[in-house]
Amino acid sequence: MAAAAGWYGRKRTRELALIVCFLAPSLAIFLLYRLIPLGWNVVLSFQSWSPMRPARWVGLEHYEEMFLWDEVFWQALWNTLVWIGAAPVAIALALGIALLVNSDLRGAPVYRTIVFLSYPLMTVAVGIIWRWMYDERGGFFNWVLRSAGLIDEPLGFLASFDMALPAVIVTDIWQVIGFYMIVLLTGLQSIPQHLYEAARIDGAPAWARFLRITLPMLRPSLFLCAVIGLLNSFTSFDLVYIMTNGGPGHATELLITYIYKAGFGQTRFDYAAAITVVQFALLLFLTVLANWAAGGNAGAVERD
Amino acid sequence: MRRHFPWARHAVLILVSAAMLLPFYWVLKTAITDENIYAYPPRLTPLDPHLFNFVDVWYLIPFPRYLLNSAIVSALAVAGNVVLNALAGYALTRHFPAKRLVLLLLLSCMLIPFQATIIPAYLISARLGVLNTHLGLALPLLSTIVCIFIYKAAFEAVPKSLIDAARIDGLSEWRIIATVLLPLSKPAIATNVILAFIWSWNSFMWPLIITRDAEMQTLPLGLARFLSYLEDTTGALYAFVVMVLLPGILVFLMAQKEFIRGLTSGATKG
Repeated sequence: MAAAAGWYGRKRTRELALIVCFLAPSLAIFLLYRLIPLGWNVVLSFQSWSPMRPARWVGLEHYEEMFLWDEVFWQALWNTLVWIGAAPVAIALALGIALLVNSDLRGAPVYRTIVFLSYPLMTVAVGIIWRWMYDERGGFFNWVLRSAGLIDEPLGFLASFDMALPAVIVTDIWQVIGFYMIVLLTGLQSIPQHLYEAARIDGAPAWARFLRITLPMLRPSLFLCAVIGLLNSFTSFDLVYIMTNGGPGHATELLITYIYKAGFGQTRFDYAAAITVVQFALLLFLTVLANWAAGGNAGAVERD
Repeated sequence: MRRHFPWARHAVLILVSAAMLLPFYWVLKTAITDENIYAYPPRLTPLDPHLFNFVDVWYLIPFPRYLLNSAIVSALAVAGNVVLNALAGYALTRHFPAKRLVLLLLLSCMLIPFQATIIPAYLISARLGVLNTHLGLALPLLSTIVCIFIYKAAFEAVPKSLIDAARIDGLSEWRIIATVLLPLSKPAIATNVILAFIWSWNSFMWPLIITRDAEMQTLPLGLARFLSYLEDTTGALYAFVVMVLLPGILVFLMAQKEFIRGLTSGATKG
């Protein structure tokens, strides 16, 4: 018995060691490039530090500067909120397209592919394409507007304080709408058909079926879309950097581009870390809010 | 679902498709034109289309160098994802203490966008001494949480009796993964390859931060650099755009199913 237990114990230890070995490389990467940076950001945000100076504890100094004195920060925060606020519009559009594509319509897979095509493309290239679309001289939009006689002088969309942010947001929607559509399509296809049949037999009109069956059953997918939209405010760096680099002035500055400029433009890593902490807190808060709006457990993860 | 108004629905979808495709046409038209691209009104169809702009891109800028860098980084990322994620995915199908903790850790990491960690990630890379190297470019991309779960789901779908039989035959865990599980999980491998390729190929912010020399720049950086230096010359910039987009479009069209499955498995897994 003792020998058997010892043998079993050794085998168990060996198995455990193997599992640890299998997990270690991936976990090391996530530790190095996700978790440790998250903590380091927080520490750095309370310090005065740059590659030239030794670190010094300064408490809330950076946050004080950010909230009380830094107008660019407020502008970037506002722009980021506008950016996030555009996500529901994109999701609603995507839902419309998903509903049209999710049917026995002939050619539906072709439409689906076309709408989704823009998502996997290099954002830098997308930014350049759309700069060209918005161009004052050879751009598509100016050509259309001028041909239609709506404007006399060409408009510099990306150079205008009022139009630059909406213009970049339109580009962003163009790129991510396919992703929203795919997520919603997956959700639509998981709704049991018999629910619709039962509703039809009961004489429920189409809009009632949509409101009472489709929307509630889509909640997890809608929540996922909302999270994608929130994360998108972080990942949109490429697009803004290429299209306007935050300009004109700071009209299209997002928090993430401001973080980049503070960190790598002005070598103020500590201040950039403080802004990162604020943006991450904002992201967490909005995610919890979205989860609550989706009815609590909508995005609950399956554990094991 | 609804069977009425098919024409109305076609009309809406054709409009949407046109809006999605138009930018591609506009850039392609410019890429194969020689005339002054800023002439007004712009021509709707290219005049004497030719491919000289593409040749220009190949010779005027270090395009082959950018391509090589991008290819190396993508190859590293794909290899890393296929191997490391398979190992981690297999480990997660087994029972071990603290498994819940590991799962929780992975799931919470999914909510941390990489962009939110760039400042410390840069400092960490500096300490590791991998700034301005291919390894440094690929390191954060070597393993992806979504892809680990894709492997885990694929492995769990393999009948347990098969694995037990292999174990009774005396196969080591490594061999079980290599000769039993992986051959039965080809779609999961394909999804890993495609997602890793697309993500590393398109990655911009990280290379922007950690490369110093022009020799280490990848295609997106080369594109951004081209934009800032040679903006007003010819359609070459747009030829560059087309050349960079082609591999992504081709990979996507060939493996659309695997790509979409990879992205939407997040929808069912949380």
